[in-house]
Amino acid sequence: MRSGLKSDIFEKFSALAGSISNSEVEGWKQQGGKVIGYTCSFVPEELFVAAGLMPFRIRATGSLSAGRADDYFEAANICSLVRHCFNKILTGEYEFIDGCVIGGGCDANRHILDNWEKSEARIPFLHRIFFPHSSGILMAQNFRNQLENLKQLLEEHFGLKITDDKLRDAIVLCNEIRDLQKAIYALRKVDNPPITASETIALVVAGYSMPKEAYKADLTQLLEELRGVTVPENKKTVRLMVVGPGHDEPTLCDIIETMGGTVVTDLTCYGGKTLFGSVREADPDPLQALADYQVIDRPLCPKNLDAHPIINREVMDKIKEYRVDGIIGQSYLCCETWGGELFVLQKELKEAGIPMLRIEREYTSDSLGQVQTRVQAFIETISGGLL
Amino acid sequence: MINIFSQLMMEANKSLYGLTIDPQNASKGPVVLGNGDFFIEIPVAFGCAFSDLTLTGANGTALPTAAELIDKGIETGVGSRMCNAIKVASYYLEAGLISKPDMIITSNSCCDSMTTLGILMNGYKPWADVPKFTMDAPHSFDEESYLYFGHQLRNAVTFMETVTGRKMDWDRLREVCVESNKQRQLLLEFQELKKAVPCPTEPDLARQGTEYTTWTSDRVTPTVTAWLEQLVTATEQRVKEGKGIDGVNEKVRFLWQDLAGSWASGTVLARLQKELGAVCLMDYVSYATWTPIDLSSEETMFTSFGKRFLLEDAMNRQALHTADLFCNDILQIVKEFKCDAVIMPAHIGHRDTNSRMKIVRDLCREHGIPCLVLGMDIWDKRYMTPEVVFDRMKTFFEVSGLI
Ligand code: SF4
Ligand code: SF4
Repeated sequence: MRSGLKSDIFEKFSALAGSISNSEVEGWKQQGGKVIGYTCSFVPEELFVAAGLMPFRIRATGSLSAGRADDYFEAANICSLVRHCFNKILTGEYEFIDGCVIGGGCDANRHILDNWEKSEARIPFLHRIFFPHSSGILMAQNFRNQLENLKQLLEEHFGLKITDDKLRDAIVLCNEIRDLQKAIYALRKVDNPPITASETIALVVAGYSMPKEAYKADLTQLLEELRGVTVPENKKTVRLMVVGPGHDEPTLCDIIETMGGTVVTDLTCYGGKTLFGSVREADPDPLQALADYQVIDRPLCPKNLDAHPIINREVMDKIKEYRVDGIIGQSYLCCETWGGELFVLQKELKEAGIPMLRIEREYTSDSLGQVQTRVQAFIETISGGLL
Repeated sequence: MINIFSQLMMEANKSLYGLTIDPQNASKGPVVLGNGDFFIEIPVAFGCAFSDLTLTGANGTALPTAAELIDKGIETGVGSRMCNAIKVASYYLEAGLISKPDMIITSNSCCDSMTTLGILMNGYKPWADVPKFTMDAPHSFDEESYLYFGHQLRNAVTFMETVTGRKMDWDRLREVCVESNKQRQLLLEFQELKKAVPCPTEPDLARQGTEYTTWTSDRVTPTVTAWLEQLVTATEQRVKEGKGIDGVNEKVRFLWQDLAGSWASGTVLARLQKELGAVCLMDYVSYATWTPIDLSSEETMFTSFGKRFLLEDAMNRQALHTADLFCNDILQIVKEFKCDAVIMPAHIGHRDTNSRMKIVRDLCREHGIPCLVLGMDIWDKRYMTPEVVFDRMKTFFEVSGLI
């Protein structure tokens, strides 16, 4: 759904988020730039930015079938996000990337690497890093070592040097971008937000699909435009928050908003989960700063056995800050870690008197039709039938 | 007639399936509850009872009430496609059937389902005050990884000491490790004997023996060592006599590259053996690659522990790591055990194997090894019934010209 704001930047973001390759990527490549793909939010983009590479987060926008990937991943038992993304890889939609780093978070995701390496779509630079399953100094050191190794491999393969200074500059740039995104998210705290959930998704997804400096400039301008918007008079709505994995396309939010709800914030892998705090900027060891951020400060992924209290705290804080009336806990079928996390969260929310609707779904938007009735019933229950 | 092998099988089964769902056992001291494997030598030496809630759930699926327990697990709402062993464990947990442990030690061990069970245990409100320790099992197998995981096991000991106020008796730990080394050596010897043609013993014995030795609490004892010694002696005798499994006319030798599951071993595999002469030579649990724990110093001990956990525990070896290791093992097993075919049960909970199907199929095609992918549920026989599994395997053997 669209807000009333007419903005060229919105148009641009929504075009970038609605396709895989795009004009920004093409422009970058025409100037001799290289693009590096990656699959999980804990793979630090800062490392790629410092290397002068354009990070591009792998997604499966517009995918209608996972047919070819289903030869590799058993369709009934593997999450559709993985299968659809890999299908895009096999069908050549990611031909523009020059390398890829797989974030080996879950059992399905990490095997993208094995399958890719053995497929005809194989590319010369493929690597995998693993996010630790618990948080602590030892784990952060382990993750740092993995980043050091990745840094060396990038240097060797692309013939470049990633200095500490470049890393610190990249950290500053990515922190600034995060701050701008946070500022835009914060605009949704008001009664009638100037930006819809779909526009917010497009905004964050665009950030994973274009060069960072240009993105920062666009965000700065958009924030200014949004601050100038006069919010139309209040309409009664149910304020909702989406929690779960993935969430790089707007259909679910559109359904919610058509049914009279307003998605005011989220804790998902493409959105709210990535906007946590900041990476230390002046650390003598910038790799350690990146590792500490991911492993100790921001373990917001349930594959980490220590993550739950932090996820819970984040959800509860956001409920207060954004005056959330209810939670939509969405996960993909066969996603076990998020399945467990949402199960625990739902019980805690119930105790706190906060309603949660649990949705298990497929990645493709055409599977969401059946979700509509449940969303409608959920919104009606919360609003007491007043909407 | 009950022969020595049946006797040994009964003993192991009694110990494995006789485990109650309640880990509290005052006589064994403080209770450590895990969401999967820990490192059995440590709690044994520490004088703790260790209970693995995943194993408890899996054992539940072997009960006559399995279907009911699985359905109750589904009703808890813990994800519709979750492994059924974990669904049962979740039900036990949610229904308050598991007594409060003295501490909880979790790790990602070998699958996402176990991680999920760890999330449930760590987030279980009535146990909010139970001290918890989490470990990260890396998906890599090199010296650095062994050191890393060994370091965490060392920290787990400190954690146990803090919780209980007791001290680890390091001499006792060495003693337990000596016993453990002896047992793993016996498992290796048994594995060597099992390579004979025809296969000298019930294949289930290898699995039971491995589980008996490595998974159940308090098992690193002379009782288990004696059990293994009897197994090796009796098997040696069989090999000398050139005899195969009683009543089996061996025609096909196959690798079952997954867990045997709570119903498959008792029904399908036994029937295949008896009716078709198709013998399961190896499975996901039994593959023994043990090396001795290096007892020269505390550090070498813990590094060895790391290696055992990450690389030598057959399930972790198959599930945690790369497709290359998985494939090399398949080829190695097929060669060493003279297997005629590979069966990939592709248990629904095993996202790792379900993500490597094409790789395995291609590998087998390339090496001329007949391969069948089933796509079954090793814990819930309603998903693909034993009859269907039997028929599919029979047809596969026929079509491949093996029977
Ligand atoms: S949604 Fe779940 S199963 Fe799918 S890639 Fe993410 S963590 Fe893995
Ligand atoms: S998925 Fe496999 S390893 Fe995990 S709990 Fe189920 S049977 Fe055990």
